[in-house]
Amino acid sequence: MTNNHERIDLEAPLSGDFQAVVRLIIGGIAERVDFAFEEIDDLQLAVERLLAEAGQVGSVQLSFEVGEGSIRTRVGPLSETAVADALRDGDAPPGQLTLRRILQTVVDSFGVEDAGGGAIVVRLEKLKGLS
Amino acid sequence: MNTPQRRSPAASEKAREEDRELLRRYHEGGDTTAREELIERHLPLVRSLARRYAGRGEALEDIEQVGAIGLIKAIDRFELEREVSLATYATPNVVGEIKRHFRDKGWAIRVPRALQELNASMSGSIERLTGKLGRSPSIAEIAAELKTTPEEVLEAMEVGSAYSTVSLSTGPGGDDELDPLETIGGEDEEFERSEHRAALEPALDRLPQREREILRMRFEEGLPQTQIAQRVGLSQMHVSRLIRKSLSIMREELLRTPPGAA
Repeated sequence: MTNNHERIDLEAPLSGDFQAVVRLIIGGIAERVDFAFEEIDDLQLAVERLLAEAGQVGSVQLSFEVGEGSIRTRVGPLSETAVADALRDGDAPPGQLTLRRILQTVVDSFGVEDAGGGAIVVRLEKLKGLS
Repeated sequence: MNTPQRRSPAASEKAREEDRELLRRYHEGGDTTAREELIERHLPLVRSLARRYAGRGEALEDIEQVGAIGLIKAIDRFELEREVSLATYATPNVVGEIKRHFRDKGWAIRVPRALQELNASMSGSIERLTGKLGRSPSIAEIAAELKTTPEEVLEAMEVGSAYSTVSLSTGPGGDDELDPLETIGGEDEEFERSEHRAALEPALDRLPQREREILRMRFEEGLPQTQIAQRVGLSQMHVSRLIRKSLSIMREELLRTPPGAA
């Protein structure tokens, strides 16, 4: 991480009641780097879909690295093997709506890291004014 | 057109017969155009029921969309041996879906009136600024136009847009619905379900035509919300809400559908 980046770490319960809080925090962070309404909405949607796949029990860690016109987000550990496979696979066939296709649409790049014990961490990067 | 308004007994009987024929075409012959026609014929019923729940902090269009999901479920589950009309059978399904929606997002209808009003005025503000700037506005720009703070704009964004993704511990929504926990079997079945839900496609046809088209434009054509909003004649905020709700509804459907049955 360079001096131009600031980082915010958050651990949030996975129960649905707290997803609105996570959305609000993402909105607040994205507003600081002057993301447009639609860009904020995209990032919120990406995180929301990942959290929806993570279940409703326990908690998840989110970290936001805020740079010049960019936000790098890490979400995990997530234990859904099928989610990891869905994200690692090649492009979704035309007409098929998968988690991978949703992320391809709403963020500029994403990736999956092994977190050990069958868990994964998903990286998302959203840039201002590009997508 | 099958409307909830009073009509003559002969007209009612004719409408029931037409419904029954369409249901037969759909359930026995797999004719999806018959299904679409049934949805169209009964949307006035959904609108009529949705209006009863207006004024509770939720846009009427959103309530109608949720009610339409209940209608589609009723059409899909209708058994031809039933002696009741589709309208009679669909009504508790539609109302149940709307009530469950309000129950799931109970927090949102308790938000202060000032924030609800700010949310209501944001939609027009975003449209104006998008037209003026030629791009999606920033939160600071929206706040400046509405003479409020960015923090309040962010809070207002959440009003009317928040809803719960389905919980595995959520109770059944009606007498005829299984608790999601009851639909999850052993390890293999659960794994299959996980794989199944990674692709949301099987649940896509549960959505009304407009929502399917919006998802197609967003995730296949890659159109931004602003362009989709122009094409379908809705506000950008409304398009955003429809996308999020549609994805959540699709996932909820997959969790309720036994593997291999979608």
